Amino acid sequence: MAARVLRPAILLILGVVWLAPLYLLIVNAAKPAARYASDQVWRPIGEFALVDNLREAWDLAGLADAVTSTVIYSVVAPALAVLIGAAVGFGIVALRLKHGFFWFVLVFGGTIFPLQMILMPLFVGYVEADVFDTRLGLVAIYTAISVPFAALVMRNFLGGIAHQVFEAAVVDGASTWRIFWRIYLPMSGSALVAVFILQATFVWNDLLLGLTLSQSDEVRPLMTALTGLQDTYGGSSLVTVLAGGLLVSLPTVVLFLSTQRIFSRGLNLGQF
Amino acid sequence: MSAPATAAPPTSAGGSAPREPRRRDRNAYGWPARAFSLPAVVVVAVLLYLPFLWTTWISLTEYDGLGSPEWVGLDNYRAMFDDANFLTSLRNTLIWVAGTITVPVALGLLIAMLSHGLRFGAWLRLPFLLPYAISGVAVGIVWVFVLQNGGGLSQALDTFGLPGADTRWLLDAPMNTVVMIGAAAWQQTGVNALLFVIGLQSIPREPIEAARLDGASGWRMFRHMYWPMLRPLTTVVVGLGLVASLKTFDIVWIMTQGGPGRNSETLAVTMYEETFVNSAYGSGSAVAVFLSAVTFLAAITYLRRQLSTERTV
Repeated sequence: MAARVLRPAILLILGVVWLAPLYLLIVNAAKPAARYASDQVWRPIGEFALVDNLREAWDLAGLADAVTSTVIYSVVAPALAVLIGAAVGFGIVALRLKHGFFWFVLVFGGTIFPLQMILMPLFVGYVEADVFDTRLGLVAIYTAISVPFAALVMRNFLGGIAHQVFEAAVVDGASTWRIFWRIYLPMSGSALVAVFILQATFVWNDLLLGLTLSQSDEVRPLMTALTGLQDTYGGSSLVTVLAGGLLVSLPTVVLFLSTQRIFSRGLNLGQF
Repeated sequence: MSAPATAAPPTSAGGSAPREPRRRDRNAYGWPARAFSLPAVVVVAVLLYLPFLWTTWISLTEYDGLGSPEWVGLDNYRAMFDDANFLTSLRNTLIWVAGTITVPVALGLLIAMLSHGLRFGAWLRLPFLLPYAISGVAVGIVWVFVLQNGGGLSQALDTFGLPGADTRWLLDAPMNTVVMIGAAAWQQTGVNALLFVIGLQSIPREPIEAARLDGASGWRMFRHMYWPMLRPLTTVVVGLGLVASLKTFDIVWIMTQGGPGRNSETLAVTMYEETFVNSAYGSGSAVAVFLSAVTFLAAITYLRRQLSTERTV
C-alpha cells in the first residue's frame, strides 16, 4: 500500500526537478531585458515580455533568415533522402539488384563513422566546388547524411511487401517506374513519414555541419545562428538568447509530442 | 560489369528454387535495378566515403589547407600522444563515456520501473521526455544559464542553505565535464525511460505473477525477474549511449567551447579546434581517424561481448 503512494510521489518530485531548468528558461525568457536581475532568476515578475523578446530574437538576432533556411533544409533534404532510400530499397528488394546485399551494406555503412571524419574534406571540397556557404551545398550534405538510415528502413519495409504485387503489376504491363511511384511508394506511407520526421528533426537540430559549411546569415542554419547569438552573451541580450532557445525548440517539441506514437514505433523499428 | 546469367550464382535472394524464371527475372530488371539504386550509391560515395578516405590520407600528411599536403607518415599520431591537450581531451571523453552509459541509463530504468503499471504513468513520464524533444544547442543554452557563476543552481543551493553555492561549475576541470554530463543526462533520460517502458510492456505476465506468488517483491523481484528479462534492451540502450557519447560535441561547444584553456574538450571538439581554429588539418585528421577507430572498435567489442554472453544465458 505504501508503494502505491510512494512510487508516484518519487516520480512527481523527480519530475519537478526535471522541469526546473525549463521553468527557468521560460520565466527568464519572459522578462523584459531592463528588469532582468541575474541574482533573482527563480522569481517571476509581473511584466510579461516573452513576445517582445521572441520578436527581438527573430528580428535583431537574424534568426528570421536562419529559420527560412532551416525550414528549407529540414523539408527538402529528408524528402530527397526518403525518396532516394526508397528507390534503392525498391531496386534491391523488388528489382533484385545483383549483389544487392553488398550495395545495401555499402550505403548503410555511410553513417557508421563520426561526422568528424568527413568535415575537413567537405569544407575544402565545398570551397573548391564553389558550394561553400550555399543552400545547395547544405541540402546536398543533409540529404547524403540521411540516406543510409532511410535506405535501412525502406529496404526492411519494402521487403515486407509480397513480390506477387510486383509480378501482378508487370503482368498488367506497368513499367518499373510506374510500379515504384504508383504502387510501392503509396504502400509505404507510414514508413516514409516516420523516416521523414526523424531525419527532419535531425537536420533541424544540426549544429556541426552548419558550423563547418556556412557562414553568412542567409545560409547559416538555425542552431549555428543561435550559437553565434550566444557568443555575445551579455547582460542585455541574455533574455534574447533564452527566448531564441525557446523559439528554436518549439517546433521540435510540438512535432515530438504530436508524433510520439510514430516515434516510439520508429525506435522499435530501428532496434529490433 | 554486367555479367551474363551463367556467371552469376544466386547469392542473395534467399528463396526456394533458383530456377529459370527467377534468373530471367533477375536479368530482365538489371538496368532498372541499377538505375534505382544509383542515386543512393553515388550520393553516399561522393559525400561520405570520398571525404572519409581523404581524411584518412590527410592524417598522414602535414597540411594547412593551402598548398599541397606533405607526407609525414605517422608523425601526426606520434605528436598526438605527446600533446597534453589531446590527453586531456581523451580523459574527458572517457569520463563522458562512463557517465553516459551509467547515469541516464540507470535513471531511465528507475523511472520506467517506478511508472510501470501506474495509472497515470504516461503523464508522470512526460516531464522527462520534454528535454529529449529539444536540440543539444537549446539544452546547452538552458544549462549555461543554470550553471553560470551565481546562476540558477547556485541560487537554489543558497536558498536551501546547502553547500556548494560558490562552486565554479563550468570553469574548473573536471567539474565542468561532470556537470555537462549532467546536462546530457537530463536530455537523454526520458527516451531511455520510454525504451525501458516498451521493454517492460513486452515482458510476459506469467513468470512475474509466479514469482509474486512465491513471495518475491521489491528489489528481489527486480534483481531476479525484471533485470534479466530487460537485458537485451539494456544492451541496446547502453550501446547507443556508448557510440553517441564518443561523439559528444554540441553540448560542450555551446557550454564551454571546450574551455577554459581547452580543459573540457572532448575528442570531437579537439578535432574541430585543430582543424578549423588552428588550421592543422593533418593533426585534426589524425584525431578524427583515432576517434573513428575507437568508436568502431568500441561498438564491435561491445556487441560481440554482449551477443556472446546472451547466447549462454
